[in-house]
Amino acid sequence: MTPNGWLQIAVFFALVLVAAKPMGLYMARVYERQKTLLDPVLGPIERLLYRMTGVDPNAEMRWTEYGAAMLIFSLATLLLTYAVERLQGHLPLNPQHFAAVEPYLAWNTAASFTTNTNWQSYVPETTMSYLTQMFGLATHNFWSAAVGMSLAIAFIRGIARREMKTLGNFWVDLTRGTLWVLLPICLVYSLALVSQGVVQNFKPYDTAALLEKQSVTATGADGKPSTTLVTTQTIAQGPVASQEAIKMLGTNGGGFFNANSAHPFENPTPLSNLMQMVSIFLIPAGLCVTLGKMVGSPKHGWAVFWAMSILWFAGVLTCYWAEAQPNPLLHGVDQHVVSAGAAQSPGGNMEGKEVRFGVTNSALFATVTTDASCGAVNAMHDSFMPLGGMVPLANILLGEIVFGGVGAGMYGMLVFVVVTVFIAGLMVGRTPEYLGKKIQAYDVQMAMLYLLIFPVIILGFAAVSLLAPFGLSSLANHGPHGLSEILYAYTSATGNNGSAFAGINANTHWFNSTLGIAMLSGRFLMMVPMLAVAGSLAMKKIAPPSVGMFPVTSTMFALLLTGVILIVGALTFFPALALGPILEHLLLRAGTSFS
Amino acid sequence: MLDLVFLAASLVFFIIALVYQHGCQSLKGGRDDA
Repeated sequence: MTPNGWLQIAVFFALVLVAAKPMGLYMARVYERQKTLLDPVLGPIERLLYRMTGVDPNAEMRWTEYGAAMLIFSLATLLLTYAVERLQGHLPLNPQHFAAVEPYLAWNTAASFTTNTNWQSYVPETTMSYLTQMFGLATHNFWSAAVGMSLAIAFIRGIARREMKTLGNFWVDLTRGTLWVLLPICLVYSLALVSQGVVQNFKPYDTAALLEKQSVTATGADGKPSTTLVTTQTIAQGPVASQEAIKMLGTNGGGFFNANSAHPFENPTPLSNLMQMVSIFLIPAGLCVTLGKMVGSPKHGWAVFWAMSILWFAGVLTCYWAEAQPNPLLHGVDQHVVSAGAAQSPGGNMEGKEVRFGVTNSALFATVTTDASCGAVNAMHDSFMPLGGMVPLANILLGEIVFGGVGAGMYGMLVFVVVTVFIAGLMVGRTPEYLGKKIQAYDVQMAMLYLLIFPVIILGFAAVSLLAPFGLSSLANHGPHGLSEILYAYTSATGNNGSAFAGINANTHWFNSTLGIAMLSGRFLMMVPMLAVAGSLAMKKIAPPSVGMFPVTSTMFALLLTGVILIVGALTFFPALALGPILEHLLLRAGTSFS
Repeated sequence: MLDLVFLAASLVFFIIALVYQHGCQSLKGGRDDA
């Protein structure tokens, strides 16, 4: 760890801190339908959309109506994306003439992008046409992000409203989030990425002659090795910048290329890397301020912000520390060659990392992308040291509530707030109240349903895959590292993160099907009880403040909230982590690795 | 054929989600239409 590294981490956090307030206040104005500077341009478009679709923007929805609209919209867009993938061979903007995506993979991908997961069991540049990337996938990046934001706003309204049965209008929230928040920022952001060298074109792929020809030996179907002399390299092109912007801002994470943000056409420079990391946290951090503004308690919003920040810092500290050290099994090798610091590199565990980002920006990116439900990667998490790799895994297992996915992080955190307030009430023997609203049995039942569905899906599917030959046959590594690979896959899918630990071939019928189910369940079966809590809160009276009420604006609250998140996470997942990355760490220290 | 299977699977999942939502609403304390 170096002062330069810490300075870069500090600059990143300072930018998030500075951006949170204006972003949050702007979003509050957008969702409360107050005037903004963009109204003259976007207002007519909004009204036209409502007229075309027959939406009454003034009609309010109960939580069940809000939930049903969200589910129907998500089903329709899932089927649309599936159809585009299956028909891409007959559709335009396919200069590489890719055939239809096979059904298992097409369904997995459609479920993946519908749920804001963006798990990719495919290699994009050899599978998806430009039309599929743009119309099937990039549009979903907007829709799924806007859906998440809408639900977070619905939950915030549930807290803010008194004795009301409605949470707003899903179609209005979806439209305003897309038009006023996501599209304008992405327009500017895409151009900024182009300025850094991110490509944006519809050209067929380029072919370049290699300066140094390569001999590649492969084993054929007959089991005999054959050697091929490779003299050219195919350089993939495409409309990357437009997809990259929403991929990061919407915490989607699905890369235009297989190497994701490690690819020089997706993330060319340290500045583009910084922009990408900040944009992951931009909306989730802003939503803390939106929360404070809409519920009339800015301090509560900041208390939630600082609870998230504590968990973010703990993650980045652990990951940076773990990755800043060389692999102990490399003792005896010239450390100056493999891992020691040099003028251009601070050293550490550089396996699977881009030299232009180094250890610091790889560890920070991995922490940020899994704190949120982004899932973009600029380094290979599979190559992290065991404890370094445990950080992204643990971040997702905690529920991605450290700023979290756009909207999903906020409503996940608010479920934890409900549980925290309930526990605080039990500790002092008073009826728990959250901003003047009594937390009752139904609210806690729904909050616990939300929290329990998550581990049931992850641990259930992971257990079957770890026992069955169709799961184990996909592994590249055995022992605890193999366990981590399967655990990470289901954690990433259920948490709607989408990052891969790699080392596992997930493009099989078993993994494509079950990961698809995990993604859909992790998204929609958790959204429903969350909306139920919101609906229940909206109907309650607000009691006047009293001395017995637990203050949700204090440092004590932020610390208790942090503690509850860690304890719930540890009680649920520590055994699995102990058998995976923790055991691997101990064995690595004893000189054992797994191939 | 597989396309129809995945179409049906998607429909079934979302119908289950709607039924599940109805179940959550039906629990004591969850009704919003009283």
